[in-house]
Amino acid sequence: MTTGTLPASARGTPAGPGPAPPGGAERADHYERLLGDPDDARNPHGRAALLAADDRRETPAATEALLARAGLAAEFVPRELGGRLTRPDVLARVLRPLFRRDVALGFGFGITALFGASAVWAAGDDGQRAEVAGRLLRGGAGRVTILHHELAHANAILRDEFSARSAPGGGFVVDGRKDVVINAGRADTFVMYARTATAAGPRSHSVLLLDAAELPAGALRRLPRAVTTGMRGSSFSGLAFDGCPVPARALVGETGDGVSLALRTYQVNRCLIPGTVVAGVDSVLRLAVRAATRGRDGGLPARRWHAVLAGVFADLLACDSMAVTGLRALSLLPDDAHLIAAAAKLTVPDLLRENLEELSTVLGALGHDRGPLYGGFQKLVRDLPVAGLGHAGTAACLAVLVPQLPALARRSWLRTDEPPGRLFLPEAPLPAFDYRRLSVLGGEDVLVASLVGSAERIGALRPAGPAWAALADLAESFVTEVRALRAQCAALPEAARSALVDPRACMLAERHGLVLAAAACLGVWLGQDGTGSFLDDPAWAVLALSRIGRRLGVPVPELPDGVTATVLGELLARHREGRSFDLYDAPLAG
Amino acid sequence: MDLELTDGPGVAVPVHVPRATGPWQRVHDDLAGRGHAVVHTTWGEWLPAALAQPRLRRLLGRDWTRYRRTPDPTVRYRFLASRLLIKYTAAAALRVPPEALDLAYRLGGRPYLPGFDQVDVSLTHTGDLLAVGLSRLGRIGVDAEPADRRMRFDLLRAQMCTPTEAAELAPLPEGRQTAETLRLWTLKEAYTKALGQGMRLGFTEFGFSLRTGRLQAPDGSPASRGEWSFATHPVQGRYLLSVARHDAGLDPAHDTSARTMLDPGFLSLMASRPR
Repeated sequence: MTTGTLPASARGTPAGPGPAPPGGAERADHYERLLGDPDDARNPHGRAALLAADDRRETPAATEALLARAGLAAEFVPRELGGRLTRPDVLARVLRPLFRRDVALGFGFGITALFGASAVWAAGDDGQRAEVAGRLLRGGAGRVTILHHELAHANAILRDEFSARSAPGGGFVVDGRKDVVINAGRADTFVMYARTATAAGPRSHSVLLLDAAELPAGALRRLPRAVTTGMRGSSFSGLAFDGCPVPARALVGETGDGVSLALRTYQVNRCLIPGTVVAGVDSVLRLAVRAATRGRDGGLPARRWHAVLAGVFADLLACDSMAVTGLRALSLLPDDAHLIAAAAKLTVPDLLRENLEELSTVLGALGHDRGPLYGGFQKLVRDLPVAGLGHAGTAACLAVLVPQLPALARRSWLRTDEPPGRLFLPEAPLPAFDYRRLSVLGGEDVLVASLVGSAERIGALRPAGPAWAALADLAESFVTEVRALRAQCAALPEAARSALVDPRACMLAERHGLVLAAAACLGVWLGQDGTGSFLDDPAWAVLALSRIGRRLGVPVPELPDGVTATVLGELLARHREGRSFDLYDAPLAG
Repeated sequence: MDLELTDGPGVAVPVHVPRATGPWQRVHDDLAGRGHAVVHTTWGEWLPAALAQPRLRRLLGRDWTRYRRTPDPTVRYRFLASRLLIKYTAAAALRVPPEALDLAYRLGGRPYLPGFDQVDVSLTHTGDLLAVGLSRLGRIGVDAEPADRRMRFDLLRAQMCTPTEAAELAPLPEGRQTAETLRLWTLKEAYTKALGQGMRLGFTEFGFSLRTGRLQAPDGSPASRGEWSFATHPVQGRYLLSVARHDAGLDPAHDTSARTMLDPGFLSLMASRPR
């Protein structure tokens, strides 16, 4: 085990599996080894144990206990408050070992705590920040949860909300009920987006930080378990507040800051979700490779599966390129990251869902297996919709993107300067991230700017070979699509404040999301220039952009010879050698 | 003879919508109340209005080129009527004009509505029948065949049946066996279309219990925890229409209209930013 400086956060934890090392790559490796070989039937944190817990509709207690002893919750606490959170891209990387094993574990004993705490990191006073940090560091990630306000077209998780009216003499009185809240039964710290104004509008809600132990007896009722199809083992249940008095000091930020805080902090969530669930699909692609290569001479899958396996691997790298770019933008471009964040959350879960369906053809009957070898496939099929929140999640992102399209078309696209190159370098240093710096004020589409620059640079590489020429053609197709989007979006009516005016805007926002995915791939590929790595080879970018282009219906050149074989070759090599299928190419346990 | 095969909450009875103007009320009711709706018609019913469309090119969008380049008039007109049926059905669900919708295709060929993931769609046609499935709960797949199509179990057994299915079908008298084989075929088509994969997913890799209606692995073990529902309905007096639908379990909003989908709080904040 790698040794490192003992973080302040770990000092207070009970004797555990040793301190987490300081670097992101090292910490990811630390958790990977801690969780151990997923295929080892004796491993209490392996696939068999996690699937069995899911089957019993229980959280995986032994694995949660292990992660608590390892001080995982410190990953969600900013460093200046005693934790290890310095950058969102590092956080996503560190969490991938959890998500590769169980997306529900990654949510239920991981990022949902941050979804809650983030409003406090962004706008809490010193006392609130220290208090939430202390609770997480001492009690683990299951202690803090978020109580969402109701969003348009809400599903069960986003439905209903709490209200808080001003109490005579200060403070608030909270009422309301929500039936499907993750960790509602075990959390003692609630970050509540409560309605504080009857009128709709940008200042309708406020954030309250509630300590269950401080509430008067009977004012908070914990409701029965909500049985869910996805994340079956996660502890979803309800909460009801009945005339619950809350002190004035519970207010996070100012009265009316709720919607703004949601928009500012959700952009981190919108990058983290794609940036972690790719790891779940990594594991499922691994199952498909296993199914396709078992009993095959030389470990080569049957020819009919080559295009599917290589294609899904290319999509996974494209999704990761978009997620990592968004995660890095949060540190590097905190005013403009919201655009990439919303686009990534709109685009990546949708592509990954399509990938699972493609992989179902390779898995065939094994796709229905409930055993430890292949049961992870059906589990992810169930869990992924919960992770992305389906249409309600999409609609929330569209509510950010659609109002910006006319202004982007008129002021940013084909005008904005390119972002710094290190945006696309997964290993390059970045300025420290600060939740307090996040805004939604910027209006520059840096990824479209980078696409235009990338297309020019790739155009000059045409003579290098057919794959480079194909990539240049693809880049041109996407630039042409930007021009078409610009013409159509410039003609949209200015955003209205309460409803969708022109339904075509939603379709255009979805197309824009796919263009940004392509832009991120090209940025990442160009950033690898000269490294001689697989990511430096144009093959994966050609395949990824071809697939994105076909989805958009833009002109796509024929795949040059060798592209599928190169991508498949890397996939099989990583499978054989136990390396992750993401941009980081990390060694895996087992 | 409605044949409902289900381990989930069932499938709505398909609704005949004879023209673009509807009636759409049953579709609204089924979609809101049951989470999905199935529409059928004949392309002959829809064609006159389709050809009279003043904005046909705009309405067909990226399908315009394919429409224009299809030489066989029957194929061309059926293609036109089927695209209009999807667009009008989706437009009814989203409560928008049909020309505001773009119809796009996934890599596997499944049609979808970019920007509007509140409804999933599936299309089938056979003979002069057109049918569209629409769901707000998850994936949906529809498949139709002429009811009198003779599907011989002995010829198709190896290609489409799991051992469990073969054991159920083999002892049946010939007439029943042929009918059950046809029904099974349409169910398998509907299921693989719901997954967007068509026949790339081998038909012997999954199966149905003809008796209980459950989705099964080839060895007869259950392959679903109740998320899937299947049904076969006779329509137009001469076709079998099978539906496979998935419920992802998110309990999504009943409201599928486009106008209300953007959160007013987020919208108002984004729209009030300084420029």
